[in-house]
Amino acid sequence: MSVEHTGVDVVVVGGGIAGASGAANLAANGLSVVLLEKQETYQDIVRGEWIAPWGLREAQILGVEDAFGVGGAWEIREWTQWDETVAPAEAETVDMTRFVPGVGGPMSFPHHTVCELMAEQAEESGATVVMGAQRATVTAGLHPEVRYTHQGEDHLIRPRMVIGATGRGCTVGRQVGVSMATSVHHWGGGLRVSGLDDWPMDVQAMGTEDDKMFMVFPQGDGVARLYINFPTANRERYRGAEGMSRFIADFELACLPDRGKAVYAAAEPLGPLKLWPSVAMFPEQPIVMDGVVLVGDEAGNADTVLGTGLSCSLRDTRAVCEVLTGGDDWSPGAFDAYLAERKFRMERLHFGADIIAKLHCEFGPEAAARRRRVRALMADNFAASVTGLLNMVPPEDVPDFGFSEFFAERLFRETV
Amino acid sequence: MTTKDTLLTDSAHVNGVDIAYVDKGEGDPVVLLHGFPDSHYLWRHQIDPLVEAGFRVIAPDLRGFGGSGKPQEVEAYDMRTIVNDVVALTQHLGISKAHIVGHDWGAAIAWMYAFLMPRRVDHLAVLSVGHPGVFSTPSIEQRAASWYMLFYQFPGVSEQLLRRNGWRLFKEIMGGEGDHQRYPRELAKPGALTAALNYYRANRSPESELRVEGNFPPVLAPTLGIWSSGDKALLEEGMTGSAKFVKGSWRYERVEDASHWIPLDQPEQVTKLLLGFLGTEKAAAVPTRRRRL
Ligand SMILES: Cc1cc2nc3c(=O)[nH]c(=O)nc-3n(C[C@H](O)[C@H](O)[C@H](O)COP(=O)(O)OP(=O)(O)OC[C@H]3O[C@@H](n4cnc5c(N)ncnc54)[C@H](O)[C@@H]3O)c2cc1C
Repeated sequence: MSVEHTGVDVVVVGGGIAGASGAANLAANGLSVVLLEKQETYQDIVRGEWIAPWGLREAQILGVEDAFGVGGAWEIREWTQWDETVAPAEAETVDMTRFVPGVGGPMSFPHHTVCELMAEQAEESGATVVMGAQRATVTAGLHPEVRYTHQGEDHLIRPRMVIGATGRGCTVGRQVGVSMATSVHHWGGGLRVSGLDDWPMDVQAMGTEDDKMFMVFPQGDGVARLYINFPTANRERYRGAEGMSRFIADFELACLPDRGKAVYAAAEPLGPLKLWPSVAMFPEQPIVMDGVVLVGDEAGNADTVLGTGLSCSLRDTRAVCEVLTGGDDWSPGAFDAYLAERKFRMERLHFGADIIAKLHCEFGPEAAARRRRVRALMADNFAASVTGLLNMVPPEDVPDFGFSEFFAERLFRETV
Repeated sequence: MTTKDTLLTDSAHVNGVDIAYVDKGEGDPVVLLHGFPDSHYLWRHQIDPLVEAGFRVIAPDLRGFGGSGKPQEVEAYDMRTIVNDVVALTQHLGISKAHIVGHDWGAAIAWMYAFLMPRRVDHLAVLSVGHPGVFSTPSIEQRAASWYMLFYQFPGVSEQLLRRNGWRLFKEIMGGEGDHQRYPRELAKPGALTAALNYYRANRSPESELRVEGNFPPVLAPTLGIWSSGDKALLEEGMTGSAKFVKGSWRYERVEDASHWIPLDQPEQVTKLLLGFLGTEKAAAVPTRRRRL
């Protein structure tokens, strides 16, 4: 016997950035919403913590931007491009605050507290938030069904619509017959730390040295999220008991001021060190069907190196919420605009991610020489850095030429 | 869904506003008044030790903060109105005389309460903020020193400006002090930021600072002043200079290794100072007003 819930408009499965923001928006618009999240409480499961200005714009439209600011987001204003191909004192700095009107720079934030606040906001707007929902099972169709277990009890909901937002695990997608093609370019590791009192909190770093691509994203008050991307062949490098200290020690980098002392000598772990394959996912079947629509990573995503997964998730959610709050037609055809926009967007993001990964996440003398050449090209002609715009403005606002094979060829031409 | 940061036990409608408060323990009453942008929760480390030491602790959320009502008009935050909230709340609780303890704006309210209502005050303990007679003539140095003053230097500081870009300006002003991670959460609640800023708007606008406000009645209660050397907002002179406004006995304690938020940064020391002071002296003999026959 299971407990049956009636009168539910939408069930959102997965309370990450995509799901929680959607539940908050739909509930605020008067729909009856149930949000199912499998974690008992929000923990640091190591997800994106750097959100692009264009993603923040999506959050504003969804009405969830305060969850970022209040949940500990810190606006980063500058990006200093330290890299082994340039002397520390000569690295150039980009002002990131002026790309999207009405939004400042990108933000760095503790992911789980922001999700928690969004879920709280959804609850305050009338949604039912079920933490610790186990074994969620979705059946698609004109009358979709969601079954799950909570505190040992079985539940059944027959909503009008299910939003699948379980992230890269693609649980709902698999249940409704959507499979993913994947490709892995490199691996990554992430750790949240405190104690960076001597690191300028306005400045982020993203660069490559030897066999690692490093990132420092300040979260204010001496806290930062550190990432290192490294070759798949080295994927054991941070495993084991000493992994965490090796990870921190690897921020001793000749290309940073003072060899990165402000990081490697000061960082105190604030959470787990998580290692993952940086995977790009391409859905092999339509992500919309009768009674079910997929959003966020569950709908496919670009390589994390680009740092646009969060922005994409919010864009997906916004598009889907617009359909669900905009009228009574919730049939697959009502989502055509979402599908078309997503297709266009993901093509651009995959294209850009390939360029960035090739440029920053390939290692060794040849790759360094390539980076040096590309940097010279960019210094010569600013237009060559067009791909970097994907971090700041939405894909449709990036000039077309940045997505042509001709451009990629020019950029990587091994001889000038 | 999450555990809320609250110890509140009750709420009462007094002086035209809902005031939420902690009422705990039995014995001589102690009223704890928080400042900007706190709530009763500022006193979380002091409440239980005071109760265990035999006091009845009353810790309200001042109007505009925490669980209390948040009128949106500036006029609702005049200092006298807030003093009257405390009078009305204590009356509601059947308390005629209490020890009054205040921090930050709460200290300013405590001072005013003490010189306007001498009969209702047993001992007075003020943290961080000195007597308004000293405070109303800040030196240039004091003005420049502080986030506290930033609000005066930018009289147009607006909700929008503070919230923009993920509350960036607010976070810069606050730095890593006090309950800095909790404040934006509290202030993001409907009407909360406007209410909190109204404290600054209703009181001590730059113009009113220029007005010389002489003639404060003396404070008759035994008074303890506490200031912390890590206070980036307020100078020590503000507190030590308060002595001349106190006719009762005056004690001054300087606390090291604490920011402006002394009750959070040195919780045990604050508790100890309060326990070593409250109720230890004879309360002020307040001259009865001569009645004309
Ligand atoms: C290490 C790392 C670094 C990244 N860095 C960045 C970055 O800097 N910037 C950026 O924009 N993007 C980044 N990304 C990508 C970004 O994190 C994701 O695109 C984004 O989090 C996707 O959000 P989501 O809500 O779709 O999925 P998720 O964040 O994965 O959330 C899914 C939620 O669903 C819950 N869930 C899963 N299965 C079930 C189930 N069966 N039932 C109920 N609940 C379930 C999970 O507990 C989780 O809360 C990064 C990703 C990783 C892994």
